[in-house]
Amino acid sequence: MDPPLVNDSSFSPANPSSYTLSEIWPFPVNDAVRSGLRLAVNSSPSDKDVSTAAAAAAAAEESTVTDLTAGWGGRKARALNSEEDESSKMVSLSSSGNEVKDSGDKKRKLCGSESGNGDGSMRAEGETSSGGGSKATEQKNKPEPPKDYIHVRARRGQATDRHSLAERARREKISEKMTALQDIIPGCNKIIGKALVLDEIINYIQSLQRQVEFLSMKLEVVNSGPSTGPTIGVFPTGDLGTLPIDLHRNIYEQQQEGNESRGSHPEWLHMQVDGSFNRTT
Amino acid sequence: MASANKPINTDVPEKDVFALHFLQSLSNLRRQNTFNSPEKTNDRVKKIKKVAYVSMARAAGGTNRLWSRALLRRAAKENNKVVRFPRRKKRVTCLRRRRSNRRDPVEEEEAERLRNLVPGGGGMEISKLMEETAHYIKCLSMQVKVMQCLVDGLAPK
Repeated sequence: MDPPLVNDSSFSPANPSSYTLSEIWPFPVNDAVRSGLRLAVNSSPSDKDVSTAAAAAAAAEESTVTDLTAGWGGRKARALNSEEDESSKMVSLSSSGNEVKDSGDKKRKLCGSESGNGDGSMRAEGETSSGGGSKATEQKNKPEPPKDYIHVRARRGQATDRHSLAERARREKISEKMTALQDIIPGCNKIIGKALVLDEIINYIQSLQRQVEFLSMKLEVVNSGPSTGPTIGVFPTGDLGTLPIDLHRNIYEQQQEGNESRGSHPEWLHMQVDGSFNRTT
Repeated sequence: MASANKPINTDVPEKDVFALHFLQSLSNLRRQNTFNSPEKTNDRVKKIKKVAYVSMARAAGGTNRLWSRALLRRAAKENNKVVRFPRRKKRVTCLRRRRSNRRDPVEEEEAERLRNLVPGGGGMEISKLMEETAHYIKCLSMQVKVMQCLVDGLAPK
């Protein structure tokens, strides 16, 4: 047997399924594609060559002709590597389709269907499945920008997009803070729904501010009365020990929490003040 | 009362600190000559209110909190004083605004109302705004209680 001419088909015997270029690829071929094909067909399925093939194929992606090559090369690599790369950490374009270890059922199904297609005749299905392959590749590649090396397990139906992850984390932070706010404000535990809780919060703040204003009016009246002159003048040094004794005690023994009244001054505080008092209005 | 019930830090100011500040400023106010004029009640009320907020802001952690900083700055502007605050390291959110879309229409309109209420809420993201709101609510309620005690205590018996 005289040795065959050196052409592309001479590289095929290392491959279990023998392909010749003319059989597979009826389209005119440029150099990048040929080198990509050669590498994919020739080599043993190692990671590096797959990525090189995919990279070479990806480099020639501009023209429509080579688009199918990318799909084909990528698909073949996927079929080969799907059983092996259980724990691979590669993030490059081709092998991102090979992540069988991810928990998304969606992805596993796609992988399975593609390796199932590997047996049929290449040419007819080359176009459709490569169309599907490139789309699947795109689907898996779009979430992962090429520089992202963090592998995150995505829940089913949720993207592992970096942006949506950040968005999700942010939303969780906000809801955590909202629950913390709910604990502070009395009567907010029973309300469900962000908008209603926020309404409650706003009402509460407004009522507190109105109370402050009302109390300041009261204080003003109290201050300007002539009878309280000597009391206030006692603390030029700012020493709290010189306060009248029951006022001192009231401030320190204030125990009650929460404030049920809205908009009007709180009634419950009057229970703490001992002695009789006149409500100045 | 001063209990931090969540992992995020909200250290509530102590009552006596606030009471101290407040009473000091009240006595300062009283010493002013213009204070005892019988007519301008509204002005006095406003002054007292301002004094209350300022002393609360000072007691509540000074310039560590965004809302207290905004309050103090606002008060100082009314007095035509220029206040300088030391620049913090984590100086806020221009970076964040670019990236994530924080415009959720339902949240945003509530957040708008919150921002109007809480001082200094203009430039904050929602999560930060919530923290500030929580602290602000705690301080406000403390302020209300102390003022009520004062009113009751100082009222003529």
